[in-house]
Amino acid sequence: MLDRRGLLSAAGGMLAFPAQAYAPGRVINAMMTDEPATLCYPLFNTRLVQEICGNINESLLLFDWQFKPQPNLARAFEMSSDGLTYTFHLRPDVQWHDGVKFTARDVVFSCGTMLPQVNPRSRNAFSHVASVTAKDAYTVVFRMKEPFNAFLLSLMASSAPMMPAHIYEGTDFRTNPFNFKPIGTGPFRFAQWKRGRFIHLTRNEHYWRPGQPGMDGIYYRVCPTPEQRMVAMETGAVDIAMADDIDTVVNSRMVANPNIVSRADAYNGTGEITVMELNMRRWPFSDRRFRAAFLHAVDREFLVKGINFGLGKVAHSPIPSTAPYHDDKVLTKYHYDPAKARALLDEMGLKPKLGGVRHRFGIMLTPDGGGAWTRGAQYIKQALSEVGLAAELEATDWPTQSRRSGNWEFDCDCNSYGEYGDPAIGTSRFFLTSNIRKGVPLTNLQGYSNPEVDKLFGQAAVAIDPAQAQAHYSRLQQILTHDVAMLWLYERNPMLFHNKRLKHVVTGPNGPADGFGAATLA
Amino acid sequence: MNRLQFIAMRLVKTVLVTIAVVLLSFFLIRLAPGDAATVMAGQSGYADEAFMKSLRAEYGLDQPLPVQLAKYLGAVAHGDLGTSYVRRQPVLDVILERLPNTLLLDAFALLVAITGGVWLGKIAARKPGSVGDATVTVLAMLFYAVPQFWLGMMAVLVFAVWLAWLPPFGIETMGADFTGMARLVDIAQHMILPGMTLALYFLASYARLTRTAMLEVADADFVKTARAKGISERQVARRHILRNALIPLVTFAGLQASILVGGSVLVENVFSWPGIGTLAYDAVTARDNPLLLGIFIVTAILVSLFNLVTDIAYSIADPRVELGQ
Amino acid sequence: MKLTARFAHRFFSRPTALVGFALFAVIALVALLAPVIFARGPFSIVGMPLLPPGAPGLLAGSDVLGRDMAVGLAYGARISLLVGIASTLFAVGIGVLLGAVAGYYGGLVDDLLMRITEFFQIIPSFVLLMVLVAFLQPSLGSTVIGIALVTWPQVARVVRGEFLSLRSREFVQAARTLGEGDIRIIFTQILPNALPPIVVVSSMMVGSAILTESALSFLGLGDPNLLSWGSMIGGARSAMWVAWWTSVLPGLSIMVTVLALNFIGDGLNDALRPRGPR
Repeated sequence: MLDRRGLLSAAGGMLAFPAQAYAPGRVINAMMTDEPATLCYPLFNTRLVQEICGNINESLLLFDWQFKPQPNLARAFEMSSDGLTYTFHLRPDVQWHDGVKFTARDVVFSCGTMLPQVNPRSRNAFSHVASVTAKDAYTVVFRMKEPFNAFLLSLMASSAPMMPAHIYEGTDFRTNPFNFKPIGTGPFRFAQWKRGRFIHLTRNEHYWRPGQPGMDGIYYRVCPTPEQRMVAMETGAVDIAMADDIDTVVNSRMVANPNIVSRADAYNGTGEITVMELNMRRWPFSDRRFRAAFLHAVDREFLVKGINFGLGKVAHSPIPSTAPYHDDKVLTKYHYDPAKARALLDEMGLKPKLGGVRHRFGIMLTPDGGGAWTRGAQYIKQALSEVGLAAELEATDWPTQSRRSGNWEFDCDCNSYGEYGDPAIGTSRFFLTSNIRKGVPLTNLQGYSNPEVDKLFGQAAVAIDPAQAQAHYSRLQQILTHDVAMLWLYERNPMLFHNKRLKHVVTGPNGPADGFGAATLA
Repeated sequence: MNRLQFIAMRLVKTVLVTIAVVLLSFFLIRLAPGDAATVMAGQSGYADEAFMKSLRAEYGLDQPLPVQLAKYLGAVAHGDLGTSYVRRQPVLDVILERLPNTLLLDAFALLVAITGGVWLGKIAARKPGSVGDATVTVLAMLFYAVPQFWLGMMAVLVFAVWLAWLPPFGIETMGADFTGMARLVDIAQHMILPGMTLALYFLASYARLTRTAMLEVADADFVKTARAKGISERQVARRHILRNALIPLVTFAGLQASILVGGSVLVENVFSWPGIGTLAYDAVTARDNPLLLGIFIVTAILVSLFNLVTDIAYSIADPRVELGQ
Repeated sequence: MKLTARFAHRFFSRPTALVGFALFAVIALVALLAPVIFARGPFSIVGMPLLPPGAPGLLAGSDVLGRDMAVGLAYGARISLLVGIASTLFAVGIGVLLGAVAGYYGGLVDDLLMRITEFFQIIPSFVLLMVLVAFLQPSLGSTVIGIALVTWPQVARVVRGEFLSLRSREFVQAARTLGEGDIRIIFTQILPNALPPIVVVSSMMVGSAILTESALSFLGLGDPNLLSWGSMIGGARSAMWVAWWTSVLPGLSIMVTVLALNFIGDGLNDALRPRGPR
């Protein structure tokens, strides 16, 4: 007979089902919320694909916690003093999973042809490159059109994964059959994709880094609902839960679990900021006083503590506080102050009309099925109503959301973006006049335009002297925060949870996107 | 009309209904703004003018609507349901991969509903107006009124969380990769909670239906004759009343097939059951139009065929019934 | 008005109908008076998240955002009843119109209607509803319209059947020989006689519409500006494991409401269509 009290206490802590026993071996299980469309890294550069393909495809450089470049497929590199030439020396002992040698040809093909064509995150960086050439089989030379000081950072795995030339060169990248059985140089190789169930990676016996990988394989298992993922983590059915696998509601329960290790720093490299975007082509969003009033009306501390269960912190700048160039001294901060919000709205002539309403507008939701985004927007709607702003929440699905935001058919939308360690990579795209491009998501959708900001971003990106770049970025943060050029809500820190029998899971700011080569099982 | 003619006629009707389903769904889905290009743009977080144009060409969306429809109908006639926008796999493959899971769940639920419902209905009909009858009636009303998705969540809370008797989610133990008999046992364990949840609503229907049918049959002449002949009451109940009362249940099962699919959406969602229901939900939220159309077509065909089978079964069970009515 | 009294007597002599009516009256009252009973709206944050029922000032505890569950439940009743009644009225409107025309005239119209109702029997209507609501953009209006569009064939079938049997009765023949027009005959002669089954069917439809609305909201296809019982449960999917009340209470509310409506429907059925043993 089962002891009932024992079961009840089990329900409060770890869950135990009378499942049949099995021996896990040196294989770990991770989760997928849904299956990716393809496993061609640059073609389908989503967080899930980064986390799977980070084990398969590698980059020339890795980055440490301070975003300093470290050798990877490139064992060394030099930059000319004028910042116009970068020379990379490749490891001679690397081979693709099919046995073909990794050489300069692959780098020239990846950085010269494939990535600029298909990888959205590479386009900006490689637009500064004049030519990529192979000096010999293991030396690659990049010549720049102008100095671009974020160039090295844009070689991190998620921006520039190396792709095999002998597989892709001369083919239609979108229909290449290897998109479903990828070939890379990484610590794990693709083994099997069992549709509807799992993607299986196995150990790369010929991996170039000695002693790695420390495990025999990884299964990524389809796990569509948040409750299922939480239970899977608690029962030990899976060993690792990444980014948004676990609903923030049960965060404290996971943190308290003695068998689970929680990491809040695994996604520092992304530097994600959760924002709302206002369509500044429309009045009153074009008025900075309205934008300031909006921020004053919303208690962002509550947003972090109440809605996001303490994960992250209030954002006061377009550059995250964990990233280089963040300058706290120059920022104009907008603390929770409904009285001030009302005063600003009064000042711009938005007086309360019938029913105390000053202005009505729409907030276009992000489709998360009633999750943290929707809850946040519901709180913001409530907070805005206290100062006389009536917001109508508009439900969407992904295609509608991207169509409406791309075509500027919105008042206010919910978004979040990654800064990726350098404003020239992740931040400037939302403020440059030249990046107001109708029909294209993740551009300057607000229609913000300021000639001085354009000029400063241009100068900062090409400044070789770090102090000079810092000066430009400080001035930029001063202008942008004074303008309330975007509604920064909070810096989001997704949590990574893993079973404590796993070691060395997170080795740098890119977390799982750098792969699990170093990870071992206790 | 003989049986073969009847089946042939019903098959023709199934084809016609399927064509109607294709046409209606095609226009319904095309009326919505947004197409493949916006779907993929939304998904990859990136697109530019050239990318969108090439996608529209790839999926033939740059052609006039009648041309698209003609091409689609032609392809469907050849068993090609197109390619899923989101999964970039043939729609038919995606559906066939999930279909067995849903059929398994639905068949189990139907089995539980019919056996349980008939049993409860029998109890109620034995003594109309008794405590047993009232209990069954109220129970049936309760099962009608409870939201299926919530019932599923409560079942998880009680049987998986508090009592820890059964696994709550999925179709098999994650990471176990059982084979053979162990896998069957594992799947059976996972099937109990979602299957019972799905079954209860239908169980209520069958209980009420059985009760009504049995009370009606009990008054019929042939039953009175049987009683008059001195056949024992138990024999009468089993041989005459129940057998004849079961006949309407068969047609009812056919009529409810499409409701069963609808219920699967919710129950599969709650229990993370990898079937057609979860697939349909994903297809709706991602605007995966070819996949949605494919799901409509496949379920319409299946429901029609199931109706056909129940009609034939009905004619066998009750020889008095003329086919083709 | 003897007829009404006899109807009321027959209806209320059934204990379940009485219970159903009483429950429904209480729920409707709470829904109507929600803004009077509670000073704050359902989205107001009143305290810490996930406080259990009975915490100071929180009869039913707080939800994942620290909102008062009691207020949410009261306002949820408004949405449920509104959607249930509005979509049923809408569906009955379409169903009566088309069913009457088909039953009265027969022929091609009738054939067409029967094919359409068959179509709705074949296609999984909940999936169709998800598509309709998602494509129209989830809102109160699209929910009502969507539910009405997938449920009207039920009414149409019933109405058609009644019209089919009533159209050849003597009183209709009499009206026709007196030179009354078709529209007049349909609305003044046949419809009043076909009313009882229509009333019974629609009372049952209100309950199922409430269930359908809650399912849509649970899946995140409801109006994000409104708090409904279904969306409360949907928002508590993960919280259920740490705070049972967040999902148990709204679920019970749905169940009791639908149960009350079905009891009423059963009572109406008995009172309006007295027939053999049931």
